[in-house]
Amino acid sequence: MSRKDATLTTHGFKYFLRKLWRDPMGRWGLLILLITSFVAVICPIFFPFDPSKVGVDASSILTGPSQTHWLGSDELGRDVLRQFFSGARISLFVGIMATIISTIVGSGIGVFAGYYMGRLDGFLMRITDFFLVVPALPLMIALGAIFGQNITVIIMVIGFLSWPRTARIVRSQTLSLRQRQFVPRAKSLGSTNLRIIRTHITPHVMPLIVANTILVVAGCILSEATLSFIGLGDPDRISWGTMLHFSFVSGAIGRGAWWYFLPPGFGILFIVLGFTLVGHSFEKITNPRHRGES
Amino acid sequence: MSLLEIRDLHVSYPNRKGEFFAVDGVDLTIEQGEFVGLAGESGCGKTTLALSIPQLLPEHSRIAAGSISFNGVDTTALNEEGLRAIRWKEISVIFQGALNALNPVQTIGSQIQEPIRIHDESVSKKEAQDRTLELLEAVGIPSHRASDFPHQFSGGMRQRVMIAMALSCMPKLVIADEPITALDVMTQAQILDLLRSLCDKYKLSMLLISHDLSVLAQTCDRVAVMYAGKVAEQGPTSRVFGSVGAQHPYTQRLLRAYPNIRHERKFIDGIPGYPPDLSTLQVGCRFADRCDVALSRCATEVPDLIDIGGNQSVACHLVSENQVGVQ
Amino acid sequence: MPFFLRRIATLSSSIFAIVTFNFFLFHIIPGDPIRLIARTQRLNTEAIAKLRTSFGLDGSLLSQYFRYLSKLLHGDLGYSFFYKENVSGIVGRALGNTFLLLTASTLIVVTCGIAIGVFAGSRQGKKSDTATVVSSLILWSMPTFWVGMLLVFTFGVWVGGLPISGISTANALYSNWFQYAMDIGQHLILPTVTLAIVDIAFFIIITRTALIEVMSEDYMLTARGKGLSRRTIVWRHGFRNAMLPVLTASALYISALVGGAIQVEVVFSWPGMGLLMYNAVLARDYSVLEASFLLTTVAVLVANFAADMLYRVLDPRVAVSK
Repeated sequence: MSRKDATLTTHGFKYFLRKLWRDPMGRWGLLILLITSFVAVICPIFFPFDPSKVGVDASSILTGPSQTHWLGSDELGRDVLRQFFSGARISLFVGIMATIISTIVGSGIGVFAGYYMGRLDGFLMRITDFFLVVPALPLMIALGAIFGQNITVIIMVIGFLSWPRTARIVRSQTLSLRQRQFVPRAKSLGSTNLRIIRTHITPHVMPLIVANTILVVAGCILSEATLSFIGLGDPDRISWGTMLHFSFVSGAIGRGAWWYFLPPGFGILFIVLGFTLVGHSFEKITNPRHRGES
Repeated sequence: MSLLEIRDLHVSYPNRKGEFFAVDGVDLTIEQGEFVGLAGESGCGKTTLALSIPQLLPEHSRIAAGSISFNGVDTTALNEEGLRAIRWKEISVIFQGALNALNPVQTIGSQIQEPIRIHDESVSKKEAQDRTLELLEAVGIPSHRASDFPHQFSGGMRQRVMIAMALSCMPKLVIADEPITALDVMTQAQILDLLRSLCDKYKLSMLLISHDLSVLAQTCDRVAVMYAGKVAEQGPTSRVFGSVGAQHPYTQRLLRAYPNIRHERKFIDGIPGYPPDLSTLQVGCRFADRCDVALSRCATEVPDLIDIGGNQSVACHLVSENQVGVQ
Repeated sequence: MPFFLRRIATLSSSIFAIVTFNFFLFHIIPGDPIRLIARTQRLNTEAIAKLRTSFGLDGSLLSQYFRYLSKLLHGDLGYSFFYKENVSGIVGRALGNTFLLLTASTLIVVTCGIAIGVFAGSRQGKKSDTATVVSSLILWSMPTFWVGMLLVFTFGVWVGGLPISGISTANALYSNWFQYAMDIGQHLILPTVTLAIVDIAFFIIITRTALIEVMSEDYMLTARGKGLSRRTIVWRHGFRNAMLPVLTASALYISALVGGAIQVEVVFSWPGMGLLMYNAVLARDYSVLEASFLLTTVAVLVANFAADMLYRVLDPRVAVSK
């Protein structure tokens, strides 16, 4: 066909990295992600956080930055910097795990609806539209409150409520692929539907899924932060959102303990921005229609 | 003084290596009330040439050299405000593809009416409305449809709306860029007749752009044929399509390449090969690669546009050598 | 108007679906809410049976469901043991406050967001455009509640000057209605600004992208050819066309707005639906949580319906063809 697709299989991973690096937005995003993943993966190894290591007395509570605590201490006298490092790990972990669920569900529904069309498509799209308009946060709060404060619950709740946009995007791409010549041809040669989906459809929707996935990570990290802030975070696995929750309820703002509520907030801002920039840049590379944009 | 005098116009677009010239040294003159046709394959620079007259080219393009004198004013030297005063009031455009050229969320009446009061504040709202309805009647659309939206019209009707819109300020020059492509043959003929009769009625000059020479042959007083950014041949319709005939090998091939829209469909004899890539440096005649009567000098020397008498001029070494022979 | 009726039918079926979903979510999955209460308060068997009836948890599942539906139709949203009050009364008070907050910030977001988006989109690629895009992306990446915390810190602790909590000054005596309104207005400033800051970024980006797409359309060249001024071209010809994709994206916006409002209400103790949900989560007050979830969702469904209707008005092509 005349339209040229940039597929992951024909260009490979390096090609896209190079393209991303050439776009200022993509380059900044990659740099940010590199730094945050370093913080999340490496730092907790050297500066582990022990939630039970609380301060000895009242004088060690919410103290400002010092030699012993570079970023001060929290309301229980624990080190904020170490907490920040391990919080990065939890935030990133929840964001990525939820995204994996969301991507599998979303692209699965999208590909099947777009490929089989007809009544299955109509049915799946009605469900998708329903979840698209139902406000996510109240639903997440309701589910989180019912199923309990547990990291698995949070991952599942966010993952299973973030897929509708992916499904919509993947479906429309699959639909347009379906109209092209090679599907009827492959069918006449005796390929099964599943085989056609695997060999002809999936490679072509992959770049789109990847671009969308990167943006979904950003959304999932924000959702996790919000849920944890509301008080639904796992108390044993403190994420940046949970840190902000405890700093809020412990009155860190009123006591001017900026070292407690500024770092996690900037952390979230930084990591979400990184994913957003890379996602937008990737979208620009794979979708020539948006090439004119800055 | 001619209405429009384009002299040695060069228009360039940037590309990877720097820039390339979509219009490369073109001269074109349009007299008051004259109907001039501009032909050539897609990508030969017709639209770029036409849109450079009211300075409607995309922002990244550049007029590198030459002048466009309209009614004695050089439009290349005008600022945005000066251009706005000329656009539509003096020079209007019938754009290619009326469906996309009309705003989908405005009624056609308001779109026709819009430029009237912008260019002449003394016109009352009522007068502008009346003029709009008159124009609609003139192009054959019942006036009660003024409040309809573009998507409610057929392709031919939309093109009529475009024509009415182009005439709303009674400009001196109307540029019609492929006004009949994508229309069926019957509608094409009707639209051409309409254009011709309106121009005669209102004493307008028109620049009609088409890739189809037979269309121009029936409607225009004079034609110019462009190839790869340059004028290959130009002259009065009566000479080029009549007594003397087309002289440039490219014009001759073009004539054979399209069926006549009013007569029987002839076998379409395409031109082998493709137009040259303008972004690479050119030496010699640009048509030489595709020309079956090319001489050896065609590959190295650029042919000049030579007047062969009767207001007809041709840019071809073969023709100029024969000319020398005759003299 | 058959189309309108069809959309009403879709809306009703969506509301019905959410009501049913809500029933199963809160009545079946968490097991027995009575046990949760019994855990915190010592109750005898008789009291538990009484509670069961008041929760509508006796009888078969189907009869529970129908009883639930008929109670809903009568406006009965249950009883809160936390507030010791009927839920409908609690929710009714909160609903108005949230509506006030949402209206105020939506006004800012829509007017400023569109203006800035059009500004940036019509200057695509220029420095002012890039700066707008970058700052929008940064704003968009900030958690709403954190922006609120920063503002609380700035105006409550650091600089001061604006009320940072509640809807009105506690124990204040007002000599007239105007004073009362002014007090509420002052309390409204920071929550509104917080909500607007994050959501405006979303609006700017969507509007900008839509306008850029529209600017490359052929009819924009026609408008230029007509000799219109730049401002007329952008606003009269570009704007209305660009609003169509923006309206399509409003479903996402409405959802984001509601999510943002919940966070803002928590941070500023604004006594609306969000704060109600937050407190319900902390107190595990399921009847309030259920009612606020149901009402919020239905309100969002209705808002989306309204946006869809507005689309029909703005786009003549859809109005006729469907």
